[in-house]
Amino acid sequence: MAVADDSSTITKPTRRSATHTRLWGWLLLPPAAWMFIFFVSSIVIVVLLSFGHVGVGGRAVFGSSLENYRALWNSTYLTVFVRSLIYAVATVVCCLAVGYPVAYTIALHGGRYKNALIAALVIPFFASYLIRMYAWSTLLSDEGLVNTGLKTLGLKDGIRFLNTPGAVIAGLTYGFVIFMILPIYASLERMDLSLIEAGKDLYHGPFRTFVSVTLPATRAGMLGGILLVFLPALGDFVSAQLLGGPGTYMIGNLIQQQFFEGQNQPLGSALTVVLMAALAVFMVFYLRATQRAERET
Amino acid sequence: MTDLAGTGTADAPTQETAIRLAGLTKVFGSTTVVDHLDLDIGKGEFFSLLGPSGCGKTTTLRMIAGFSDATEGSILIGGTDVTSVPPHKRPVNTVFQSYALFEHLDVTGNVGFGLRRKGLPKAEITRMVGEALELVQLSEKATARPRELSGGQKQRVALARALVNRPEVLLLDEPLAALDLKLRHQMQVELKTIQREVGITFVFVTHDQDEALTLSDRVAIMNNGVIEQVGTPEDVYERPRTAFAAGFIGTSNLMTGTYEHGALTLAPGIAVPVPGHAELAEGATASIAVRPEKIWMYEFEPHMVRIPGTVVATVYHGATTQYLVDVAPSVRITVLEQNLSRARNEDRWSDGDRIELGWKPEHAVVIR
Amino acid sequence: MAAPTVTADTTAIDVATPRRRRRSVEGKPRIAVAFTLLFFLLLYLPIVVVVLFSFNSKKSLSAFQSFSWRWYEQFFNDDQLISSLKASLFISSVAMVGALVLGTMLALALEKVRGRPARAVGTVALVPLVTPEIVTGVAALLFFTGLGIHLSLTTVILAEITFSISYVAVIVRGRLAAVSGEVEEAARDLGCTAFQAMRLVTIPTILPALIASGLLVFALVFDDFVLAFFVTGVDPQPLPVRIYSEIRLTISPAINAVGTCMMLVSVVLIGLSLVVPRLFGRKDNGLDLLSGG
Repeated sequence: MAVADDSSTITKPTRRSATHTRLWGWLLLPPAAWMFIFFVSSIVIVVLLSFGHVGVGGRAVFGSSLENYRALWNSTYLTVFVRSLIYAVATVVCCLAVGYPVAYTIALHGGRYKNALIAALVIPFFASYLIRMYAWSTLLSDEGLVNTGLKTLGLKDGIRFLNTPGAVIAGLTYGFVIFMILPIYASLERMDLSLIEAGKDLYHGPFRTFVSVTLPATRAGMLGGILLVFLPALGDFVSAQLLGGPGTYMIGNLIQQQFFEGQNQPLGSALTVVLMAALAVFMVFYLRATQRAERET
Repeated sequence: MTDLAGTGTADAPTQETAIRLAGLTKVFGSTTVVDHLDLDIGKGEFFSLLGPSGCGKTTTLRMIAGFSDATEGSILIGGTDVTSVPPHKRPVNTVFQSYALFEHLDVTGNVGFGLRRKGLPKAEITRMVGEALELVQLSEKATARPRELSGGQKQRVALARALVNRPEVLLLDEPLAALDLKLRHQMQVELKTIQREVGITFVFVTHDQDEALTLSDRVAIMNNGVIEQVGTPEDVYERPRTAFAAGFIGTSNLMTGTYEHGALTLAPGIAVPVPGHAELAEGATASIAVRPEKIWMYEFEPHMVRIPGTVVATVYHGATTQYLVDVAPSVRITVLEQNLSRARNEDRWSDGDRIELGWKPEHAVVIR
Repeated sequence: MAAPTVTADTTAIDVATPRRRRRSVEGKPRIAVAFTLLFFLLLYLPIVVVVLFSFNSKKSLSAFQSFSWRWYEQFFNDDQLISSLKASLFISSVAMVGALVLGTMLALALEKVRGRPARAVGTVALVPLVTPEIVTGVAALLFFTGLGIHLSLTTVILAEITFSISYVAVIVRGRLAAVSGEVEEAARDLGCTAFQAMRLVTIPTILPALIASGLLVFALVFDDFVLAFFVTGVDPQPLPVRIYSEIRLTISPAINAVGTCMMLVSVVLIGLSLVVPRLFGRKDNGLDLLSGG
């Protein structure tokens, strides 16, 4: 292979002259402007409105009070917050428990079917999330296929699946497990298999080898998967809506209510800010964890 | 700081100057990668920039091509100052190390790319592309896509694509580095032949000294951004001017010591005679370099310089045998002997033998 | 002066480590394989059920009577649903184009422009990928209503583009990174200005990534519910939003028919995006583009 030469590895950036960067800067302008206008400023509006209140005629008005946040500090809301966190964590755990073995099996035992298997895995996840949740709600409902089957098998009253935390978590897992599988699969693919062989010599046993060799090597993939599952799961409302009930409502459902039924946009904004704060906290932990992982490799 | 462009008749180009670099400097942040280079490259020369990784040879090439702006100094191509001219307007073309073929075009499309940019008529382009492909012997692959080609074939397309534009100078950035040995040797021969045929000035960057010696009309050895020596391959090999130049090409067998009474004292009691170098000051530190093939181990001629040594290792290379001989503590000489007889290894010298080494005084090159 | 060189012209013995083929390192463990198969079963079960019961002649989702097209006929005769379908297709097309243009510009610019402001833009462009749709939905809603913009298909399109730029940027950047910088220099060496080089060489070379990400965006936007739900107007509504209320109220194979059509569109698109790059003869396929992020 070619020998790496001096200038190609040294600071590519400083090769660019100032005019050069300025020219290409024009290319950056439209997308940057778009993102700023439609994304950044809209997020800012949410934060600002959270300090507002409902004015005359039901319209949302900007303000500077913490009223909305104080309103959130009560048991109803706090229960929902805690519940959402628990559901999201549970979803991550389930996705790991389900996703890792699947990723592992395909990566290490897929052989020449590997790509086909991954494709077969990916395709269903691009069918509408809504439709898939709907499908499960019909399957698991009291009159649904599963219960009909169970009743014919003798279970007279069937099992109540829907409107339980389990259903919501299962729905979330079903919806997001692909985001756990793909990163883990990618890091397994990048892993040097001879490490496992070496590990088997050292650790005398497939389980210990797995824990001591494979698991650490896929840490980056797992962290990526955890991020990609936790964040959307925390903010989800479709699963709780279709598979759960008021007793399983998450932050997402509350937010949706405030904007569509309650018509209290400032309060909804405050709820959204709380959600964003939770996400930001998680991101910080995630970034620290990945930095630590990078330092250790 | 080097200015070897005009030192000695062996260095100056004998034809019209194709490229003149004057005080060419490139600084990246706080590192000076190319340090005030002065160089003249003659028209029609096959000129190599040779040096280790990081010596600045590729940066220099990129500045000539125009991909890198010079921090200081100027570049003249064919007498015209092109220092601030953008790459697409310079009369040079480059053959890249990674071939850099356009994946979305076939071979003909690739080769004709530069011609189309110039706006030449279609018929003309077709003719020129055909000629270029014939030159690199790839006519039958005219409609192939880059992904279908082997490394050697890709390299030839890259060459054709550059040459078809009839540049004043062709720049080649380690073009053969990614090829396996046999293919590399084959391509070296082809490159040399093509260069002779088209007569275009080639500036060839490489870290492989064999390649540079084989292909070049003249070589510039670079190190740390400066040119250590410029000359024909023979000049550079037989008459190295610096310790680096001596050591970079082949083995130099550099012996350093204090010059006293016509000999270099390498160590207490061990002195190597260096007759005929009265210019050296008494007591000064100096070095001599003697090429391995110039050192004899038997049947010495009368005026040879002789020193004793101990054989440390013997390495058989089929046509030759290499001996490592210690003549002083931490002074190990490499000797290359042709295997002129069919004598078996045991009949030659073996480890531990006390022997004498000898060379003709004129074969010892003094390096200050 | 340098010390005498100790050389060994002896060529080092080249120990070549044989490249290991990725074969199983253990015998295929049956539990893992069974588990994976079960997973695939559960994965496809709801989809199969939806499709199956869309052909049910009886209005039931638990008992299959006989094959019938009636629900599809109902779907295609329902003006509101058809207008929603058309609306969704329209939204997806426009959003695809918008996201492709802006996302590609972003990817190209990030490759060229260095410095902190550029890096900041790059990071901001990735944030939508990890933001739950409800947050972007709320933000978009407040943005439009705050500015007094009437909610309509246009607002949906604008919001969807914002969300989709990230996908395009990530995928195209991935492909750009694989294209050697020397290719663009070669174009300039042969007579292109910097912009010509981009137009004539860089963009054609990243075309597979453009196609793959375009198809991906189309599929994602077509199926998107949450974001559209927040910023849609009253009429027409994108298809997922339209059937959402149906889903909450009734259980009918009519929804299955609509759902099957939606899934068909998505599956075809995603299948194409995985396959098309391969047609360009790349060694990498769409999967690498999509999952290698």
